[in-house]
Amino acid sequence: MSSYEFLFDGDTVTSSVEMTDETYRVKIDDEEMELRQVSDNLFSVFIKGKRILIAAARDRNGTTYVDIDSALIELKEPSDDVFGEAGGEEGEKDKVFAPMPGKIVKLLVEVGDKVSEKQQLVIVEAMKMENPVLCRANGTVKAINFAVGDQVDSDSPIIELDIPE
Amino acid sequence: MKPLFEKILVANRSEIAVRVMSACRTLGIPCVAVYSDADRKSKHRYYADEAAYIGLSSPRESYLDIEKIINTAKETGCDAIHPGYGFLAENPILAQRCVDENITFIGPSSEAIKLLGNKVESRVKMANAGIPLIPGMKDSSADIDQYRKTADEAGYPVIIKAAAGGGGKGMRVVSSVDELEDALDSARREALNAFNDDTVYLEKYIVNPRHIEFQILADTHGNTVHVFERECSIQRRHQKIIEETPSVALDDDLRVRMGADAVKVAQTADYTNAGTVEFLLDESGKYYFLEMNTRIQVEHPVTEMVTGVDLVVEQIRIAAGQKLSEQFKNLTQRGHAIECRIYAEDGDNNFMPSTGTILHYSEPVGPGVRADSGIAAGMEITIDYDPIMSKLIVHAPNRELAIKKMIDSLNAYKILGVKTSKKFMIDVMSHPEFKAGHTYTSFIEKHMADRQLDLTAYRTIAVAAASVAAHTAHGAKAFNGVKSDGAMPSPWQTIGSWQIGDSIHE
Repeated sequence: MSSYEFLFDGDTVTSSVEMTDETYRVKIDDEEMELRQVSDNLFSVFIKGKRILIAAARDRNGTTYVDIDSALIELKEPSDDVFGEAGGEEGEKDKVFAPMPGKIVKLLVEVGDKVSEKQQLVIVEAMKMENPVLCRANGTVKAINFAVGDQVDSDSPIIELDIPE
Repeated sequence: MKPLFEKILVANRSEIAVRVMSACRTLGIPCVAVYSDADRKSKHRYYADEAAYIGLSSPRESYLDIEKIINTAKETGCDAIHPGYGFLAENPILAQRCVDENITFIGPSSEAIKLLGNKVESRVKMANAGIPLIPGMKDSSADIDQYRKTADEAGYPVIIKAAAGGGGKGMRVVSSVDELEDALDSARREALNAFNDDTVYLEKYIVNPRHIEFQILADTHGNTVHVFERECSIQRRHQKIIEETPSVALDDDLRVRMGADAVKVAQTADYTNAGTVEFLLDESGKYYFLEMNTRIQVEHPVTEMVTGVDLVVEQIRIAAGQKLSEQFKNLTQRGHAIECRIYAEDGDNNFMPSTGTILHYSEPVGPGVRADSGIAAGMEITIDYDPIMSKLIVHAPNRELAIKKMIDSLNAYKILGVKTSKKFMIDVMSHPEFKAGHTYTSFIEKHMADRQLDLTAYRTIAVAAASVAAHTAHGAKAFNGVKSDGAMPSPWQTIGSWQIGDSIHE
């Protein structure tokens, strides 16, 4: 038997996995279920009277991608390094990042503007589409580090905000 | 029999390149792929009989470079070029350059592309031919009476739009003459603020419009036919994501009339090869010409599923000078087909494009299930190109069964590593209004705006799946050297969409 830990919705969830008769018996909290591998990355499981096909695969960085009934879920292990995450995690709401590398096609605010949560701040074009980048807190625009036409990656903040405590 | 062409160069990438190549195979014609830096590992490169490198990832340096495409065709001994859709497909210069170089362009003439690409000019031409257009003003005016007159002629409700418009700014729906003057004033003010230009014009407001288009095939011997309609009303950001045929909004009479007008549009433009005539259809059954697309469409497979016609094969035959075959004299629509476009984008987060490496890829299979795909495991999805990865198409005896089959097939279609809109599209098709056939172009903003995805229900099963994935990856360690990757031969993959059987027999 082996045990594993994954983060789900901020919680650490612990599982134990045992292989019996070509099926994987997984225990999580009080629940137990059997997954049968049907080919690479594909597993079948019988839940609530219905057999469903699940896909699960890990990438090189240790993130596991799961497809259950077309819901796509990404799970990380608790020890995973979360720095450098595109768009920044909680606590970095004063910095506005591009969701992906692209070109700035429109800046919708100026330094000094008051901005509010969910307001569109900048439009970044990638994959032939214009993607609005939304504000994640109420505050004031402190700095704009790029101009229209600039290429941006997802690691350098486009806009910096002053957020009142 | 001698093949129709010596060799065809497919001037495109991803799923449509693969689709065109499969039609070349059907006809026994060798094909050449072109690829950029970003596509070194792409499926279309290795699917072709030959592949030629054409430059940097930026489309301007490769897929949009007409001279590179022409030179590559000459160097590889191709006597025809298929442009797919997008990129150079509707570029009259490529069509003309092909003529100059004695290469067959598999598509319409340069002149037809030019005419239909000019939306203003082509609409005037179609109006003169008696094709219905959305009634309204061709220009703005300073005179309120001009707006009043046009509104009376078009019939209320009407809509005022900013000439510089976009994003709903400067737009007003006006339901009666009493509201017209106020609406004009406020639309002008709003347009001035938004675009620094207060020019507005007026046209008929279409209540609950549907996007209906007709597939056209026209040979070079004067025969033009339509291959029925497709309904493409389910759109996000004005881009189609779900298409189907037949449309529930068309009865036989309307289908005959719209089809005849679609054929007339093509004839008026002296059109040859495959094309699509787009109409807006209102609630009362009135329809209006929008434009004609001079290429094979993304959604062409639904037409193929219900008619049995291979549209790309027909394109190649027509380009080779063959006549439309007898089958088009009594073509029928059999059953119902739906297509879902699989984009690399996050359907749960405002359709934000998603990039990454495809970790896992497996398609559903089964009767009436087709995946037109440009991706494979290990391929990178980059920011360089349109995010379409593949299309899933199903065919069933009727619409209700087609919806069920599509939902099951989407669930069995596994793509890991990038986000997709599979779940979003399942939620669309599970919506009572979709099932009822109330598919208007406003569907997504109207019915999906408040959509919430609650993933917490998947907590246990997701962690279980992730744990087993980790377990199989670490198999040797966990089992003291006993290999546990479970790679036993399995029926599951080969019968991927096995759920379908259950649904049909429900």
